[in-house]
This record gives sequence, structure tokens and C-alpha cells, in this order.
Amino acid sequence: MSVLFWVLWPLERFNTAILAVGRALAMSALAIMVCLILGQVFFRYVLNDAPNWTEEGARFGMLWMTGLMAPLAYRMGGFVSIDMLERALPKFLSALLTLTLLCIALWVLVVFWDRGLNNHVDTMSGKGCSSSLRWPFGFEFGKCGAKFQNRFQYASLFVGVNLLILVNVELILRQIIKIGSQGHRLTKLSADENLAGAS
Amino acid sequence: MLLWFLPLFLLLIMIGLPVVFGLLAAPVALIMLEGDGRNVVAGLYRNLYNGMDSFPLMALPFFMLAGEVMNRGGITLRLVEFSQAFMGHMRGGLAHVNILSSMLFAGLSGSAVADTSALGSTLIPAMEKNGYTRSFAAAITAASSVIGPIIPPSGIMIIYAYVMGESVAALFLAGIVPGIMVGVGLMIMVRLMADRYDLPKAERIVHKNQTITPLEGWVSFVLVRINIAGLLYAISGIITQFFAEPVNGWLIFGLALPIAHAIAQATKAHVSHDFRIVCKKAIAPLQTPIIILGGILVGVFTPTEASAVAVAYALIVSFFVLRSMNGRDLLDVLQKSALSTAAVLVLVGAAVTFKTVVSLSYAPQILSDYILSLSENPLILLFLINILLFIVGMFLDAGPAIIILGPILGPIFVDLGVHPVHFAIIMSVNLTVGLATPPMGLVLFVASSVSGEKVETIARAILPFLAVEVVVIFMITYIPAISMTIPRLTGFVQ
Repeated sequence: MSVLFWVLWPLERFNTAILAVGRALAMSALAIMVCLILGQVFFRYVLNDAPNWTEEGARFGMLWMTGLMAPLAYRMGGFVSIDMLERALPKFLSALLTLTLLCIALWVLVVFWDRGLNNHVDTMSGKGCSSSLRWPFGFEFGKCGAKFQNRFQYASLFVGVNLLILVNVELILRQIIKIGSQGHRLTKLSADENLAGAS
Repeated sequence: MLLWFLPLFLLLIMIGLPVVFGLLAAPVALIMLEGDGRNVVAGLYRNLYNGMDSFPLMALPFFMLAGEVMNRGGITLRLVEFSQAFMGHMRGGLAHVNILSSMLFAGLSGSAVADTSALGSTLIPAMEKNGYTRSFAAAITAASSVIGPIIPPSGIMIIYAYVMGESVAALFLAGIVPGIMVGVGLMIMVRLMADRYDLPKAERIVHKNQTITPLEGWVSFVLVRINIAGLLYAISGIITQFFAEPVNGWLIFGLALPIAHAIAQATKAHVSHDFRIVCKKAIAPLQTPIIILGGILVGVFTPTEASAVAVAYALIVSFFVLRSMNGRDLLDVLQKSALSTAAVLVLVGAAVTFKTVVSLSYAPQILSDYILSLSENPLILLFLINILLFIVGMFLDAGPAIIILGPILGPIFVDLGVHPVHFAIIMSVNLTVGLATPPMGLVLFVASSVSGEKVETIARAILPFLAVEVVVIFMITYIPAISMTIPRLTGFVQ
């Protein structure tokens, strides 16, 4: 059991730190999204000249917000599930079922990790250039020059999958520790009861 | 073999796998079992990304953010006082206030959970203090909160519109009358129960000696006149259409302003000071749905832009007019909105992936054949589907249920001649009511946590109100005009 705690300790701290950075970036992305869309309305009606990049810029923000924030939501128990069976089962069986479900989730994530990089981020389309998004202040980088490469957007999901895998591994370790009756030694992951989704 | 993804998916979510992983695991497992020679799983991964990469979907985080800002900005008490000023004097007054507050709150948040949490914490203790049982107070709070996602703006309607390729504006407009009907139906039930259970009467206004800041007073002064003038302008269109020459719109609006002022002044003389101040304090928050729907209807904004404008308006009102928010509150609401939205957006992305597999598997055709073998009469099928949706709503939240069932059931009923917007409203209202049904109704749990009453007790007390909501569901189902008239009149549905 001590080996598990020894593995969990750095992973838990790493996840906490990286998800905190992700949260800050996601919050900024949300604020920027609002500003971009308001700017779009302002430019269209006040200056009569709507820029063509605000919409794609806002979508860029939304994708990264999702990629960075979804793992945190998962860690806090914010992914919707029907937990009637888990509640109905005896404690030990329920813990085993939870562990099985976490393993299934990990398998899905690993499959998507495997297919995601080579079939999405690093593809012809990924290497292609954005139709409207450009680097500010006339900066130019790589093959696309002043334009963004699509892979900067595509990477949001891949980063999200990576973070979800890290969170999932952490949750699996915690679950094994709980099954080993050492759950009381774990630090609590605060569940946000206000995670209500669109309902 | 791919057809087995549906039973496998149901099995996985029934044993407790998060819906988002269930939507992905079932098809991926079967594709890999068959041998993924054509790299279909990579296609599913791309669909997951494409599902989240959408401009109309952006309205979801923005509406959530606007609702959160308004809620944090202290509008709940204002709406409750406003409702009490109108309905508090009736028998069962606070129950009516609860329902009316939910209807008003629905125009701001679009979330049943936010409604239960915000109004419940204010109204349940107040109702208990006034002689209502705690279970009744919690039950009416939970039952009325389902109006939240029916009256626009509505998170689940944005999701439905996106997943099924419908117009967000049409769905928003189609939800107005059903939402009001649920509210009125609940009020009638409260009135009937009031005589039987001798429910107490409340005072018309909660707090005497109401005060308002000069800035807020001026803002409501201006907004009231602009709104009345806008209404007069809209009505004037009926007259000016008979004129030979087109009339300048700004001129009409300019002429309408002094008339609006005269109407406001005339009304002022007939109401008490406290009543007037309570109404004035509710004006700024209640402007939000007017901005959203007005902007969309007039064609000034897309729904996404309207949602961003709603955020800006909510921030201006909370920071500068009400002065009830600070920077820390803003960070909190940004975090909460981003967190809730991210979980939903991943789910929507997974739904688009799932939808691809649904079409690849021919499941809708097979299900369609099966459903049509039961009956070819759409009215009977709609009855059966309502029962199915109601049962699903008991176990699953409205959002995921719509995501799963929309792509499967939608095409079948559209083929049977049911209008897509009509079917969307049937699904949305039915599954939303499911939020308040035991054993897994989300708002029952929230009402329980807010009130301290047991879920089972609330579930029993809510039954008469659920009966009303079921009646409304069937009315919406069999009288399409209820939901379709406003979208048709406004030209959003042909």
C-alpha cells in the first residue's frame, strides 16, 4: 500500500498544480471569448466593419477552455453518471465496480490518445493554416507565416485527453487505496455540488 | 455487429460509467472487436473535436455565465420581492410567489438547478416561517424550477438545436408558451390545494420602507420608458403598414417616448411607494431576457451574440448599477461557468461521435421499423414516446438524455410528419420535468440539500405538481399550436 501512496503523492500534486494552471487559462479563455464576441457586435454595428477572425478566435478559446477544464470537472465528479447501482451494492462490491468503471474510462482515453495524435493533430489538416486567425503584431512563425496553424486548435483536445488520463490514473490509485481500507489517509478531492451542467 | 453498440452503451451507463465515456466506449469497443482496418476510431476522435468546435454552441457558456453573474449579483431577492408584490396577497401566496419567481428567473438562467438552489435558499425558509410545511415548500420549489430550461434562454435547447441541426431561436420561441403553461398550471394546483389544506395568505410586500439608490432609480426610469416605447413602436407597425410612404422608425420611437413617459407617470399615481420601488428594483435584472429575445427577434444578434451581450449587461448591472459584485466574485463565476460548460461540451462532442455511429449502424431505421410495427398512428406513438421519455427522465439528466435520444428518435418522428421544432419541445419539456421526478431527479436532490428535508418526503409532496406537468406535456404533444404559434408568427418556422 505504501508503494501506491508513494506513486500517488507526486501524481496528485502534479495534477493539482497543472489543473490549477489550466483553470486559470480556461477562465481567461472564457473572459476573452466574451470580449471577442462583444467586439464582433461592436465592430459590426458601430464601425460597420466586422473583423473575420473574432468568431474563430472565440472558438479557439472555447476549445482550449474545454480541454483544460474538463479534466478538473472529471476529477471533481462533474461527469454525469447513473450511480444507482454503485449506491445499491455493498461497500466492497461498489468499490470494485467503481474501479472497473475507471479502468474502462482509462481504456477509452488511451485509445483516443493513440488515435488522436497521428490522426488529428499531426495530419495534413493539422499542419494546414487557419483561414482567419493570425498572430498579432505582424509576427510570423513556421510554414504558415502570419497565420495560425490548425494544430494549435487541434491540440486542445489532445491536451485534454492527456490531462484526463492523468486524472484517471490518479482516481484509479485512490480507488485501489480505498479498496485496501486506507481511504481515510487520502486527501479529499472537493466535489463541487454546483456542477449542474446545462440542466 | 455495430448494432450492438446501443445495448452495450445502455449497459455501461446503467452500471454507472459516466455518460461521456459510455458514448465513446460502446462504439469504440465494437469497432475494435470487428477490426478497425479503416481507422474509424480516428474518425470518431475527429468527430469528438468537431462536435465541440461550434460557434452556436458558444451560447451555452455565455448563458451560464450571464445567469451566474445575475445570481451572484443578488437579483434573487429582488425577483422574490417583485413576485410577492404581485401575488403575495393570494391564498397560498408564497407558493404562487415561488412559481412566479421561477418563471422570471427562467428568463435569466435557463437552469433548473440554479433556480432551485437560488430561490430555494430564499423562499423555503420564508415559506416555513409563514406556516407551510417544509416538504411542501421544497416540493413547489423543485416543481417550479423545471420551468427554468423551458422558458428561454435554455441550455438544453441550445444542445438540442446543435445536435439536431435546428434553429436555436425557433426552439427558444417555441418554449415560451409551454413554460408559461407549466407555471400557470402549477398556480392552479396551488390554488386548489390552498382551499383543501388551508394554505396561508401572505402580505403583498415583504419589506416596508423600500429604498433604491439614485443610479438604480434612474436606470429603471430610463429602461421602463424605453421598453414601453419599444412596445408602442412594435404596435405602431400594424398601423404604419397601411401608409403609402414608409415612416422613419426613429421618428416613431421618438414620438413614443413621451407617450411612454405619460403612461409610466399615470401608473405611478395608482400604486404605493413600496410597490413602485420593488418593481423598479426588478427592472434591471428583468431586462436580460428582453435583450436576449428582443435582439434575436429583431435580427440584431445571433443567439451566441445575444448571450455575450447578456453577459456584458449582467456585468454592468451587477458591478455598476447594483454594486453587488466584486472582482473575486467575478473570478468565482468565471470558474463555475467554465467548469460546468466544459463537462457539458465534452458530452456534446461525444454525442456527435455517437450520432455518427448511430447513422453508420442503421439503428434509427431498425428502431423506426420496430416503433412503426407497434402502430402507424403518430398520436399513439407520441403517447408511447412520452412515456419512454418520462421514464428516461427519471434516471438521467435532461442534457445527456437529449444528446442520446435526440439523434435516434428525432428522425423517426420527423418522418412521421411531426415538425422537428414541435418534437424538440416535446422532448425538452418531458425530459426537463424528469429533473424533478424520483428516484434520480437532480432538482429533488438540490431541493433536499437546500431545505434539509428528505428526498423521499419531497418526492411524495411533489406528486400533485408532477401530475400538472404531465398534463401540460400531453397538451403540448397533441396541440402543436401551443409551441409552434410564436415561432410561426415570427417567421422562424415555416
